[in-house]
Formats: sequence, C-alpha cells, structure tokens
Amino acid sequence: MATVTIKNVSKAFGDNVVLKEFNETFQEGEFVTLLGPSGCGKTTMLRMIAGFEKPTSGEVYIDDQLVSGGKTFVPPEKRSIGMVFQSYAVWPHMNVFDNVAYPLTIQRVPKAEIREQVEKVLEIVHLSQYAKRLPNQLSGGQQQRVALARALVAAPKLLLLDEPLSNLDAKLRESMRFEIKEIQKKLGITVVYVTHDQTEAMAMSDRIFLINRGVVQQSGTPEQIYNEPINQFVADFLGKVDFFKGEAANGRIAFPAMGGQSIAYDGPRTGKVEVAIRPESIYFAPDGVLEGTLEAQYYLGDVDDCRVRVGDTLMRVIANGYEYKALREGQKVRMNVRSFMVFEDNGLLEQMLKIQT
Amino acid sequence: MKNAKAAQKELPRQTRAPLITKLALALVFALGAVIIALGVSGQRAYDTSGFSAESAYGAIYALSKDVNAAWEKQLQPQLAALPAEQRAQVDEAVRALLDAAWEGANPGSAAEVESILSPVPEGERTALSYKLLYSAYLVNGPKVSTAQKKEIAALSAADLAAFRTAMLNGVTDESAALPAAAEKAADLKGQERQAALMQLLFTSDGAAASTESVNTLKKGVRDKVKQLDAFRMIARGEVGWLWQLIVSNSRTAVLVGIIIALDALLLTLLMMWDKSWIIDVKWIIILLIVDFLLLFQLMPLVYMVIKAFFPEGSFSLETFERLYTYSLNLDALTNTLIAAFATMILGTLLAFPLAWLVGRTNLYGKKFFRALFVLTYMVPPYVGAMAWLRLLNPNVGTINQWLRVLFRLSDAPGPLNVYTLPGMIWVLTSFYYPYAFITISRAMEKMDPSLEEASRISGGSPLKTLFTITLPMMMPSLIAGALLVFVSAASCYGIPSIIGSPGRVHTVTTRIVEYVSLGQQALNDATGMAVFLMVMALIILFISDVVLAKKQYITVSGKSVRPAIVDLRKWRVPLTVIVSVFAVIMIFIPFATIFTTSFKIDVGKSMFQAENFTWTNWQTVFGRTETMNCLKNSLIFASVTATVGIAIACTMSYLLQRTRVKGRKIPDFLITLGSGTPSVVIALGLIMTMKGNFGINIYNTAYIMIIAYLIKYLMMGMRTVVSAMSQIHVSLEECSQIAGASWLRTMFRITGPLIFPSIAAGWFLIFIPSFYELSMTTLLYSSTTKTIGFQLYEYWTFTSQPMSCAMAFGILLFVVALNFLLNRLTKGEFSI
Ligand SMILES: Nc1ncnc2c1ncn2[C@@H]1O[C@H](COP(=O)(O)OP(=O)(O)OP(=O)(O)O)[C@@H](O)[C@H]1O
Ligand SMILES: [Mg+2]
Repeated sequence: MATVTIKNVSKAFGDNVVLKEFNETFQEGEFVTLLGPSGCGKTTMLRMIAGFEKPTSGEVYIDDQLVSGGKTFVPPEKRSIGMVFQSYAVWPHMNVFDNVAYPLTIQRVPKAEIREQVEKVLEIVHLSQYAKRLPNQLSGGQQQRVALARALVAAPKLLLLDEPLSNLDAKLRESMRFEIKEIQKKLGITVVYVTHDQTEAMAMSDRIFLINRGVVQQSGTPEQIYNEPINQFVADFLGKVDFFKGEAANGRIAFPAMGGQSIAYDGPRTGKVEVAIRPESIYFAPDGVLEGTLEAQYYLGDVDDCRVRVGDTLMRVIANGYEYKALREGQKVRMNVRSFMVFEDNGLLEQMLKIQT
Repeated sequence: MKNAKAAQKELPRQTRAPLITKLALALVFALGAVIIALGVSGQRAYDTSGFSAESAYGAIYALSKDVNAAWEKQLQPQLAALPAEQRAQVDEAVRALLDAAWEGANPGSAAEVESILSPVPEGERTALSYKLLYSAYLVNGPKVSTAQKKEIAALSAADLAAFRTAMLNGVTDESAALPAAAEKAADLKGQERQAALMQLLFTSDGAAASTESVNTLKKGVRDKVKQLDAFRMIARGEVGWLWQLIVSNSRTAVLVGIIIALDALLLTLLMMWDKSWIIDVKWIIILLIVDFLLLFQLMPLVYMVIKAFFPEGSFSLETFERLYTYSLNLDALTNTLIAAFATMILGTLLAFPLAWLVGRTNLYGKKFFRALFVLTYMVPPYVGAMAWLRLLNPNVGTINQWLRVLFRLSDAPGPLNVYTLPGMIWVLTSFYYPYAFITISRAMEKMDPSLEEASRISGGSPLKTLFTITLPMMMPSLIAGALLVFVSAASCYGIPSIIGSPGRVHTVTTRIVEYVSLGQQALNDATGMAVFLMVMALIILFISDVVLAKKQYITVSGKSVRPAIVDLRKWRVPLTVIVSVFAVIMIFIPFATIFTTSFKIDVGKSMFQAENFTWTNWQTVFGRTETMNCLKNSLIFASVTATVGIAIACTMSYLLQRTRVKGRKIPDFLITLGSGTPSVVIALGLIMTMKGNFGINIYNTAYIMIIAYLIKYLMMGMRTVVSAMSQIHVSLEECSQIAGASWLRTMFRITGPLIFPSIAAGWFLIFIPSFYELSMTTLLYSSTTKTIGFQLYEYWTFTSQPMSCAMAFGILLFVVALNFLLNRLTKGEFSI
C-alpha cells in the first residue's frame, strides 16, 4: 500500500555510471519486476529504494514522502520496507525462528503475538519444522525461504525482493511464486521484484522494466513487452527470437539470404529492415509462403524443435509435438509465419546483443 | 575400457598384496624390536661395566686391533728371535710388571691379573700378558717425552731393530748399554727401569695405537679399578665390531628401534583403518614427518612433563610446590598472569575499534594505517622494548624529560617508570595488539555486509545492529584474537627480559631462562614453570582451534563481499586525528627513538645537542667480525629453517588439500601443537633431551637451533600454502591431467605457478621470525652459534645502548626490506 516515486535518479560508482535518469512511479499494490542482464543495475536500484545507497542525483519518494535526495535521507530502518537480499543474509548465529522474529522483536511486539505470526509465516514458506535449526544446517533454498519469511513477517507496505527464488528447484519455485503473489494480492503490498528469469517475470508481474546498461529499455505489461518490443534487445531478451535481414517494399518483405523469398507485410517501414521471428510463431503448412528443406529435428515431447534450411539461412521452427512423426529429415517443407516484428536495420543489432552478458 | 583392463590386471596383485604387506610390516616391527633389544643389552653391558662413557667400547675395539697387530707384527717376531733363556727372563719380567701395574690404585690387582691369565691355555698366556701390559702402558705407562718419540721415529729400519733388541737386552741385563733415545731409562733401576724399557719397546712399534682412541679410553674409563677390565677386553679382543657399535650407540639404537617399531605399528593401524593393504608412498612421507616431530617435539615435551612429576625418579609434586612456596617463583607466576591478562584486555580494547575504523568506515588513510599497524607485527619484540625503555626510563627517558619540562616537575626520576609491571604491560600491549587487530579485522572484512543491512531494513538502528548482529557474529574471532594476545604475552621472553629483569619484575619465561643458566640442579624448577606455561598455552590453543573454530560462522558468501562502509560524517576528521596520534605514539616515536639513539654519544641528551652526534656506533657495530659472524649465522639458520620448513609445508598442504590419505591429520596436529607451544618451553625440552642422554647429541650445534625454529614457525608457512591451495579448485588440476599432462607436469605447470606467491610468502613467514629469534636462541646458543638477535641482546645488556640501537635499526631495515621484496615478489598479494 505504498507508492514509490523515482525522480531523475542516476547512480554512479566513481566513474562507472550504473543507472541513468531513472524516472518512474510504482503504484500502490503493484507488482513490478526489474529485469535485465547481470550487472545492469537492478540490485543497485533496489538498494537505493531501501536506503543502502544514495542516488548520485535525483530523488526517491515513498508514499509521497521524500526519503532520499537533496539533503534528506531517511535511514533504512525508518522506511518500513521488507527486503530479501540476493545473498540471503540469514544470520548464522540465530536459529530460524529468531531470524524471522527479529523485525517483530525490534517493534516490541508481545511475545505471544510474535510466536503466532512467525509460525504463520513459516507455514507459508514451508519451514515450520525447521524453526529450531541454525542456518548452517539448512540448504541454500531453505535459507532463501527464511529470508523471505523475515521480509514478510512484519507485513511491510513495500517489499523488495532481490532474486528471492533463484536457488529453489522448479517445483518449489512455482509454488513460492504463487505464494508471493497471493500474499501480495491479499495484503495489497507493493512489490519490487528483481529477477533474471523471464518466465518468472512474465508470470508474476503487473509491469516489467527491462533494463540494460543502466537505461530502461522498455516498461509495460508482460504482454506488451513480449509482443510489442520496441527494439531488438527487448525482443531478444524475452523469449526466443531469430533475426533476418530483409527489404520491405510493395507490401512484402523479401529476404535476400533466402533466395529472395518473401512474406506479406502491411506495416509502415520500407527499405532495409530487420525481421524478428519467434520460432514458435512459424508453422508448417502445405500452402506456406516459405519453402525450405528440413535439416534436423529434435523431439522434445511437447514440441518438435526443427531446423529448416531456407536458401542460405537456417530457420528454427518450434512445431507441435505431433508433427514429429509426419516429417522426415531432408524432405521439402513449406511454412507460414503467424506473427513477426519488424525493426529498422540500423546496423546496431550485433552490438546491442553483445551487451547482454 | 582402459580402466576395466587396468582393474583386471590389478586384481591378482591386490589379492596377494595383503599377505606380503602384513609380512613386511611384521618384519619391520621385528627389526625394530631386535634393534631395541640390542640397544638395551648394550646399555646393560655398559651399565655393569662401570665405565663412564659408552664411547669407551669404541676405543676398546680400536685399541684391541692395534694391540693385536703390534703383537703379531712386531713383538712376537722380536721375542721369537731371542735365545730361549733370555726369552724366559723377559716373560718373567713382564709378568712381574703386570702384577705391579695397578698395585697403587688397586691392592688386590695381582690376584685379578692372575684370574685373567690363568684360565687361558698355556700357549697363549704369554701373548696375553704382553698385550695386557701393552694396553695398560698405553693409558698409564711410564712417560715417554715427545722428543724421545721423535728420536725413535727418526730411526731407520735397521736401527729400529737394533733399538728393540737393546731394549729387550736392557730388561734382562741391567748393565747393558742403552742407545741414545733411551738415555733417560739408564738412570733407573730395577722394575722401574724395566717398565721404562718395555714402554720404549712398545713405543717403537711402528703401528702405534692412535692417540685419539687412547684419549677416548681415558675419558671413557675413569675408574682405575675398572681400567683393568678395559685392558683385559683389549688384550683378549673381547669387543667385536658389532658389539662396540651397539654399545657405544646403545641409546641411539633404542631410540631408532622404538621409532621403527612405532612406525610399523602406526602403518598397520593406518592400513587397518583404511582397509587397504597396499602401501601408499604418502604414508611413508607422513611417517617421516611424524618421526621428526615425535623425536624433536613430542619427546622433549613429554620428557619434561615426566621430569616435572618425577623429579628424582619417583612421583612427587615438589616441583610444583616450589612454584608457589618460593616467593620469587610465585611473583613470576602472578606477574605473568597479570601482565598477560591486562595485555589481552588492553590490546583487544585497542584493536577492536581500530579494526572497525580501518575496515568498515571512511576514515582518511585507512590503507596506510592498516599497513602501519600490521608492520608492528614483524618487528622483533625486544626492539620495541628497547625503544620504550629509551622513552620511559625514569631518569633519562625522553618522554619523562618532556613531561618534567611540560609540567614543571622537579628533576627527580619519573613521573613514568618503565621498569614496573604496568610499564611492562604497556610495552607488551604496544607490541601484541596487532595480533588481535589482524584477527579481528580479517573477520570484520570477511563478514557479508548484507547481514547488517538485513537488520537495518528489519528496523534495527545502527547501534542495535552492532549489538545484536555485528558483535555476536564477531565474538568468536574477538575471543580468538584476545586469547592469542594472552598467550603471546604470557610466553614472551624478549620484552620481560629487557624491561622486567632490571626492574626485578620476573616472569615465568625469565625465570626459566635464569634457572637454565644455573645448571642441572635448577632444571627441576624450570620444568615446573615450563609445564605450567605449556599447559596454559595448550588449553588456549584448544579453545581457539577447536571450540571457537566451530563457531566461526562461515560468513563468506560465494559472491565477493564488498564491506559496507560507514560514513563517519562529522567524526571523520576528529577520528582520523585520534588514529594518527595513536600511530605516532605507538609506532613512529619508538622507531624514531631507536634511530636517533643509534647516533648518540650520551643517551641522556638530544641527538642534536652539540657533540652528541656520531657515526661510530654504526661503524663499530657493523665493523666487528663478531657481528658479521652472528649475522651470517642468523641468515644461514633462518634460510635453512625456511627452506626445510617450506618443503614440509608444501608436502603437508598437498596431503591435506589434495589427498584423502588416512593419517594426514596426524602431522598437521603435531605441527599445530608445536607452534602453540611457548618458545621457551620448546627450547627447554630440547636442552633436556638432546644432550646425548637419549642417543641424540645436538646440544650446542646449529641443528638444535634450526630444529627449534622449525617446530615453532613451521605452521606459519604451512597455513599460507594450505590456504592458497584450498583456493585453487581441483578441477584446474584435473583439467590439465585430462589434457594429458602427467601429475608431475601438472604440479609444476599449473599448481606450482598458481601457488608460487604463497610459497614465497610462506618461506618469508618462516624466515623472518627465525632470523631475529631471541627466546629460544638464548637457551640454545653456543659460542659458535650466536645469532644476530642474541648478539643485539648482549650488546644491550652488556655493551652500549646506542650501539645496540644501531644494530636494532639495521635489523628493522632488513626486515622491512624483506617485506617489501615479498610484496613485490607476490605482486602485492602478500606482505606480513
Ligand atoms: N558499491 C559498488 N561500488 C562500485 N561498483 C558497484 C558497486 N555496487 C555495484 N557496482 C557495479 O554496478 C553495476 C550494477 O550492479 P548491480 O549489483 O546493481 O547489478 P545487478 O543488476 O543486480 O546484477 P545481478 O543480476 O548479477 O545481481 C555492476 O557493474 C557493479 O559492478
Ligand atoms: Mg543483483
């Protein structure tokens, strides 16, 4: 139940500018995800909201109250925030119960109530039976859940989560995702979530901020970001995508590398373009517009991952799993493209993609 | 495929191996037992012989060969050539001489001679009597002057034969003329004359027995009565080569036997534990290291403990009673405890805030301060003591002079006096707080800052966070640091010896050294003190290595940790000033004092005062050959220690980090134990056991010093290499091996270069303290093995303070230069 407003925030460590001119408001009860390659400044952003770093310039408001900026600085303990650290930061000299109870102890909550609340939150993170254990007797994933429980226990109005699920197995991760989402909805907390995992971001977020080199590349709902990426980097970062250079003219885009084969296009661009096609939006059809030879196929159960040679290029096609039996390597196939994205060919593609790591 | 084949080939060998191995082990064990048995029987024989040194047996063996050769080659042919009548006369004379030989010392000797000769068959009796006489005359026959010997030696072969004949003639005929070389005997009469002539006859023997053996025999058989036994053994050739070897080395034999048997036993246990009966070369290496440590570390300590409880061979607590009934000892005990405790408290109180300021705040010049505080760590303690003495001497101490001027005090001594217990505590603190500083700041910098941040975000104020998170997590390191200071202060000798002794503030270590210098009888008292000190140190070692180590939370996350820096804000400047003042008082002023004093003529005056500046101190000190000899000794001992030490350290690191071989922890344990034992105790143990009483005699040699240094400082090197090796992931090595490189190649090409910096660091970490060592050296040195540290101490106590300051500053410069070199060599990764 808090808004976070970030005004013109920049952050530099020495000469190294980590965040540039960040401007955004996170709404009450919103689940916001910061997504981006490693080292792009996600943690730094969170730490500025929490009050562990001061912005080099700009201001941070929580609930319209200035917390960092100018001469004002509210220390972290006065900000009523819950946070899960990337390194868990579970205190090794306290057992699980004491770790989780700590925020309540500081608030001088009566003992009985502490017990009750801690037990409740431990239940949520599936750690009830570990209450008396010391952290060094826990696995990485369990420690991560202790950290989550500690962040949740005081029912903060703002929750900052720095890759809180990175160490869990797939199943537990899914269930925890659900739990976090539930708690957030129930309590109406504002959550700022940091992750590498795009599926996680897509599944949970109301809004995703995709950051690269300290600059927000695009923000929007998961659907917007996935389907309407504003540049090649965004398209590439979310989901699988292949780029093909083409020429747009007369309502079609022709691909020189595919022996001049072309697809229909009714968009505004003309001239040299870069077409981004997701492999799952290509499908085999007898009357397809593109023709090629099936070079290889990998049966993955639910899908059939194919490589088709079209002219000089290799296209990746993720076909329906049932198609596997019908296809033979070396046979001629025809394909249609359900949807694709067209960008101006500014020659920066390679450079943009390189930055990812 | 390849593996399967290899396994098949291995199979038959494996099934056969246990039996062969067990047999071999049993054989080795038996060999050990046999050697022990031989040693014991040798020792028995020696005990019953009543001789005063085992080496007598060696001499007896050597002499009996000489005597026999002389009889067969010279005497016998000579006698055979005599007419039968004269021959009988000579025989008779010899017999009479024999009877008379011991009359003075042992009235019943004639009967004994008879009892030696009578059981021998008639034919050999004469031969035996000649040999016996020859042996006796070797040791205490009539004197033959050197001039005479030369004369005889100068005779030609023909003259020699004539000379001998003349001697024999002289024995039988008192009126016979004597050659020039035997002139002196001419004045003698009767038996005396005969004895002198016989002696000359023996002396003329070309294959004269070696004087060395004779001397050994004289020393080995002091008792005149027992000499007869020795001569009998010589004459009859009773002592064979093997037997003399066994008896004269019987103690060593027992020791070697025990070691061999113990090794076999240990190896058997290891193999049983490992359930494998294939001998691993690594075990042999482990055993060699263990043997070394058992002999030179454990045995002395154990012997010392036994000696303390069984001072005169039977159980008694008298030694310990004397610890507190004798007031000087009780004083030493309480002084030590008080000083160590106070130093611990003071040192930790200084170290903790300093570590925090330097490690976790934005103090100005943190790096510089850090380097500065750590620098003290490698300064010899006695140098610090000398500096503080110069500053706080009640009469001429510089600080006292300033204070008197500042507060307009009278010229009476004071106000501060370093020659007191508080004075000593102050100096101990100034030297040992870096120990706590290093331990604490290491832990502080390793701590993951998000642990504190998590507390802040949970609502904890910085102060609350300090007390509920930071301090509790630091506690094990804090205690470990404090205990380290305690034990170092309690076992320190350099500072109390320089400050305490003049002020009659005794400590356990100074008392031990005093007792040792008092000689054998006082050793008992020394052992009591040493056992007290050792037990205290070992308890503390146990607490910090076992109890606390378990609690040392693993706060190092895989991700590199960037400590959260606390902004001191308005306190930044004042705190920087305070730390600077502290550094000036603790480090700059003492070193500057040493430096300036080294140029003074009158230490009471300023260096800049007229006619008080001189270079001669430096010239004198470094111009003396004695100093250079000591310096050479120190360099050699320290280099040897460091080289041997680092070789063991590398081996141990490999065993500990790269193998799972059973028993690798045994030497590790012993090495840790050694480094935790106070220096004075190590040295005392070595003195008491390495004088030959256990078959090893390295007393007064360089070996005993090198061994002592090794025991004390080996761990410094080992820890460094071990930690470096633990940081190189095995996969790097495996990667190279997969690439087809042999193990040796991998070690040299991959592991070696990667850990070279730490090997170099380890070498210096052993070298530097060995170079300036004082406590152990004081107990172990001999006139030829004095070291620079001891020389400095002697200069300070007996010669001149300015000169010793020159030497101290020289040492300091050298050590700092070494540190700089080390830093360069390891690309800044290591310095002390
Ligand atoms: N205290 C600091 N001093 C100097 N540089 C820093 C500091 N903290 C972060 N950086 C730099 O800022 C950049 C962004 O770091 P940040 O931790 O925000 O990345 P991130 O997006 O969280 O990455 P990851 O996904 O790997 O956690 C990195 O290049 C990092 O090296
Ligand atoms: Mg991060």
